Amino acid sequence: MNLIVNGSEVEIVSPPLTPLLHVLRDELDITGPKAGCQQGGCGTCTVLIDGEPRRSCLTAVAAVDGASITTIEGVGQAEELSAVQAAFYKHYAAQCGFCTPGMVLAATALIERKGGPVERDEVLEALGGHYCRCTGYVKIIDAVMAASRGEVDSVDDLPVPEPGQPEVLPKGSPA
Amino acid sequence: MKAVGARLPRYDGLGHVTGRTQFVDDVRVGKTLWVKALRSTHHNAAITSLDTSKAEAMKGVRAIITHKDVPKNVYGHLEGLGVPGDEPLLADGEVRWLGQPIAAVAAESEAAAQAAVEAMEISYEERPALFDIRNALDPDAPEIHQWGNVYPHYGPYNHRRVRKGDIDRAFDEADTIVEGVYRPQAIEQVPMETQVSLVVPEASGRLTIYSCTQAMYFSMGVVAAHLQVPLNKLKFVGGTVGGGFGGKVDTATETICALLALKARKPVKWRWTREEEFLVSSTRAPWHIELQDAVSKEGWILGRRTVTLHDSGAYARFSPYGLTKHAFHHSGAYTIPNLRFDGFVVFTNRVPTTAMRGFGVTSVSFAVETHMNRIAEVMGLDPWELRLKNANRIGDTSGNGVVLKDPSTVAVTLAAADRVGIELSAEYRGMNEEPRTGALLPEHLVAQQNLNGEGA
Ligand code: FES
Ligand code: FES
Repeated sequence: MNLIVNGSEVEIVSPPLTPLLHVLRDELDITGPKAGCQQGGCGTCTVLIDGEPRRSCLTAVAAVDGASITTIEGVGQAEELSAVQAAFYKHYAAQCGFCTPGMVLAATALIERKGGPVERDEVLEALGGHYCRCTGYVKIIDAVMAASRGEVDSVDDLPVPEPGQPEVLPKGSPA
Repeated sequence: MKAVGARLPRYDGLGHVTGRTQFVDDVRVGKTLWVKALRSTHHNAAITSLDTSKAEAMKGVRAIITHKDVPKNVYGHLEGLGVPGDEPLLADGEVRWLGQPIAAVAAESEAAAQAAVEAMEISYEERPALFDIRNALDPDAPEIHQWGNVYPHYGPYNHRRVRKGDIDRAFDEADTIVEGVYRPQAIEQVPMETQVSLVVPEASGRLTIYSCTQAMYFSMGVVAAHLQVPLNKLKFVGGTVGGGFGGKVDTATETICALLALKARKPVKWRWTREEEFLVSSTRAPWHIELQDAVSKEGWILGRRTVTLHDSGAYARFSPYGLTKHAFHHSGAYTIPNLRFDGFVVFTNRVPTTAMRGFGVTSVSFAVETHMNRIAEVMGLDPWELRLKNANRIGDTSGNGVVLKDPSTVAVTLAAADRVGIELSAEYRGMNEEPRTGALLPEHLVAQQNLNGEGA
């Protein structure tokens, strides 16, 4: 079997009924998709299969032989965030970050499909099967709508410490 | 104070949105063994036999542990405070809750570990179980804990007590007594990341422990105690928690993984399934809270009697601490000069309970605020005015003797009224936190007022 994962073609040696989630995480060491429930209930394992958001925990790898898979790693880097990633970052839509890869991918597919601004109802429908226990969803919904309109809040107005005051600038992600 | 009010970026935000944040399950250390546990299928039972020999002989199985492999099996989360331990890491001779771990296996795959668990032979003799804290003190209730059904280690008492003022006089002088019973129930914290740890034995003899704990140094102490090793044998790596909400305070997987890693001399990982997270991870406790308030017809709360039963589940863990916090907050954001509080930590055959978002406090706040509405209803008073009148003020003394210097009840109540569009009279709208005087300092509140700022 073969997959195109984030643009690169890879050969898969896992047995054909292995869930795509395990192929990605354990055979390919791509750890962006998370194992939140492994039974289709939470959305943390979401990846794009030929552009459509799918639960990789419920997808046997043989069923997607030859398909193009996009994980969060293929969406953007810290230096080069996609619009949705930038919006999640700047709207504080990620707290613990465990649901974030699935949320970002589902939101990316929604905006792609719509090709323009998305409404609140559409966000609710597209992210309906994605659980987040930290944020209360409001900031996630705001972020997706903002990304779809190309309006992303700024977090750049950092305070400047006065001489002798402790540094308050964040040190950046440990990741 | 430059950071207050500024829009600071999350320090870990870029890692989160790019999927690069490394959670425990994302750590890769080469060949790792998987862990599964044999768990109790009964709520309360004696273990009459346990045989792991078939499991040990199975392909792919690298280590199995039972209570015999734990240097210090019985431990308690409050041992540092001098409270004896009560909970075995792995059940020894009996089980007290459905899902309690009895043995654990490390094998080359998750499936091999599960198959080994299923090959273990165990038999039980079932005992009557206790599920409802309200029945725990009945004469015919089964005694389910070695200390009896009530935690006995509050100094000389078997319950947490608060005594303030002259409670009998307050009830004698009351115009009305308002009673209420409140029963907030168990809640699972449901973090999106289930309990997980990865333990790597190092050539130096130390263990590197990747943990999702919310309480690093506490977890380190727990593992060191069970293993009976000094802290310098453990290197904990943590700080990235995929949601916890209190559910990752108790040490769930680290100790068992550490023992298996030592026995198998291989890296060992245990990631709970979503079913395990729901069925056997610790929850917020259920409570039974009885409030009885002595109220004057003007709407002053003269006194409060409280009895709380706090469901600890099968073992104590942190519940005695949670109930202490509950006790400190049982007068809510209000000043009540006469108090009598008796709180009992009660054992049941349920999964041991633990912290969740305001350990012990949210339950009593729910009870107190619901009770305030009930008082207003019974007395025909406005619930906002009742709250503002009895609100904590500078110089008031709390139930546990703290003199309040910056209480926020009035400001918060006024802001809440404003948000929901409640029109208050000018008298109440103009209230603030300043020390009580005039009509707001009736006779019964004089003695408790302390304007020197010295705590009792
Ligand atoms: S892990 Fe696939 S939906 Fe939860
Ligand atoms: S940010 Fe923690 S679950 Fe969504």
